[in-house]
Amino acid sequence: MKRLRRSLLAQYVLIILFATMILPISVTGLSIVFYNTLYEGNSDDRLYNGTDLEQMWHRTAKSLEQATEEEIREKFHQLKLVYTNANLYWVDVKGMTRVTFPENLPVRKQWKATDAIQFMKDHRGMTADPFTTVAFLGTEGKHGFIVFQLPRSDMESPSDKLREQYNFLFPIALLAVFIVFILISTLFFYRIRKRLLHLQEAMAISDQSGVPSPVAVSREDEIGRLELSFNRMVQEVEEGRLRQLEEEELRKELIANLSHDLRTPLTTIRGHTYRLHQEHLSEKGMESVKLLDEKIRYMDGLIDNLVSYTLLTTGKYPFYPEKIDIVRLVRTSFATWYPIFENLEFTMELDIPDRQIFWQADPQWFSRILDNLLQNIHRHAADGRYIAIRIQEETLMLEDHGPGMKSKSSSQGVGIGLSIVSLMMKEMKLEWNIQTDTNGTKMTIRQKQRSYQNEY
Amino acid sequence: MRTILYIEDDQEIGRFVKDDLEARGFSVRWLLSGEGADEALPEADLVVLDVMLPGLDGFTIGQRLKRKQGDIPILLLSARTAVDDKLAGLQFADDYLTKPFHPDELAARIDVLLRRAGRDLMEEITLDHLRINLKENRILTTAGEEILLTAKQHQIFTYLLRHPNQILTKEQLYEGVWQEPYLEGDKTLHVHIRYLREKIEQDPSQPRIIETIRGIGYRVKQ
Repeated sequence: MKRLRRSLLAQYVLIILFATMILPISVTGLSIVFYNTLYEGNSDDRLYNGTDLEQMWHRTAKSLEQATEEEIREKFHQLKLVYTNANLYWVDVKGMTRVTFPENLPVRKQWKATDAIQFMKDHRGMTADPFTTVAFLGTEGKHGFIVFQLPRSDMESPSDKLREQYNFLFPIALLAVFIVFILISTLFFYRIRKRLLHLQEAMAISDQSGVPSPVAVSREDEIGRLELSFNRMVQEVEEGRLRQLEEEELRKELIANLSHDLRTPLTTIRGHTYRLHQEHLSEKGMESVKLLDEKIRYMDGLIDNLVSYTLLTTGKYPFYPEKIDIVRLVRTSFATWYPIFENLEFTMELDIPDRQIFWQADPQWFSRILDNLLQNIHRHAADGRYIAIRIQEETLMLEDHGPGMKSKSSSQGVGIGLSIVSLMMKEMKLEWNIQTDTNGTKMTIRQKQRSYQNEY
Repeated sequence: MRTILYIEDDQEIGRFVKDDLEARGFSVRWLLSGEGADEALPEADLVVLDVMLPGLDGFTIGQRLKRKQGDIPILLLSARTAVDDKLAGLQFADDYLTKPFHPDELAARIDVLLRRAGRDLMEEITLDHLRINLKENRILTTAGEEILLTAKQHQIFTYLLRHPNQILTKEQLYEGVWQEPYLEGDKTLHVHIRYLREKIEQDPSQPRIIETIRGIGYRVKQ
């Protein structure tokens, strides 16, 4: 029993077994029940079957072998009480009709041999109505013969009638048995299906972390074991996710610490470079100090970019997009760079409209993009002495007259700054186009979907 | 003398910064950790705080100091460039500087912060033909005439003076003075600056004190 509960296969085999046996068993079983109940109540006194009647008549004939006319009449009278619709009569050896029941039976008084043969011919066969049986009285018809006629309609037993009346019950009962079988098997599969669907739903629905929740294990059968395995898997995935989060956090921390460990000595170097700078140095010495300072600044930028790039590519760079006024951001950003370009005697062209233009972007990221691009111009395109920033038709344009991006700049890096810009633009769904040749570089930045503009 | 409370655990950097700031005329109280910061706070005009410290980190110490004395300017120094740090730091700190910083930049930022907080004891600023006394709110020309400004004009001028050499966009300037969001297209600031220039500039059509940076904003060079 326990095994049965634990195995869907066993349950299924049981149902199939039941199904293959249901036909013979149910037919036999039903028949037994059916006939037994219906045959009850049949009286044994009265016979209905033709053969039984014939035997009964022959027995009667035998018992009346030596009987007198009175005795025959008496016997016939008794039989007539049982078979009320029957015709009974006796024809003696001389061919005289002697006793008739009922009295007024229209039957010939005198039988000739041909009459007898004609009578036999008329009343032969299974369908001849009324049913007729003839028995000789005494050996070889010494005392004539007796005739028993019963209308066929009177030969149906009450049980036959009843059976006919309730015949439709049998297929209904059979149908009911089949329906029960179909119901049981449907229920069996319905429950399996329900549990499978439940499991499927549990797999599809996941909480915020993207891991499905475990399911309640209802039984110990195959599906139950599947549910157990599923729960185990969920647990493993969850553990893996936590481990991954932990590792990511560790990596983030490691990067921050690495940055710290690199910058701390750099700060000391910078401080001492500054101190050297204040000493009285030869011209060459001053040049070296200047170079040192420049390289420190460069390394600082490199570390910053490296950290940012690592965070960006692992999706760990904090990203809080909102509706921002890019005109204002461009203005603020350029304000910090203005003095630097001013010192380098750049020609600066600014065409920024006096209205707000809203983009969906992270302000920190957008500032970072502008900083990187302006820094690029400062670092690589300073020879052109020209910078233009324009915002026209919802598009931000940056132009310089440097040697172009393809030429080798004297202070070239690995281009990580531009990679960061590219990654950030992509993440914020901004379109970035660059036209560059030896006469300068033109960049345009615009929003891919234009749904957030000028809404205020 | 202006006193700076400087919390830094790195000996080399700490020694150097202390020397440098002292050479620039500040009095520096240097602590190796947050311990004793509370006691030193009342005498300080500004706090320079390193983020990575043994024991309590710079964020915790900074927030505690701000709670104790809300008006103390705090400049956060960090060698960790994690953007989270910067965002978290600027929740309470007034400025944020990443290492390796140039000593001049640190000094400049300290100046700006002190001036913004009104803790600058600099007696007088000389600008072109003006002698400005921020403490007494008096502006005199070299000829000795006093220039009287309306309250708003004075606020604008002071705000610009407290951000020396910094280009302030019209949004920054408006929001700094009026303390409400700037509405695009508002000409109020423009009008005020025009009247201010008429009073302080020798030739208002060729302004030399308040410089217009076209398309960006205004600047006062010192």
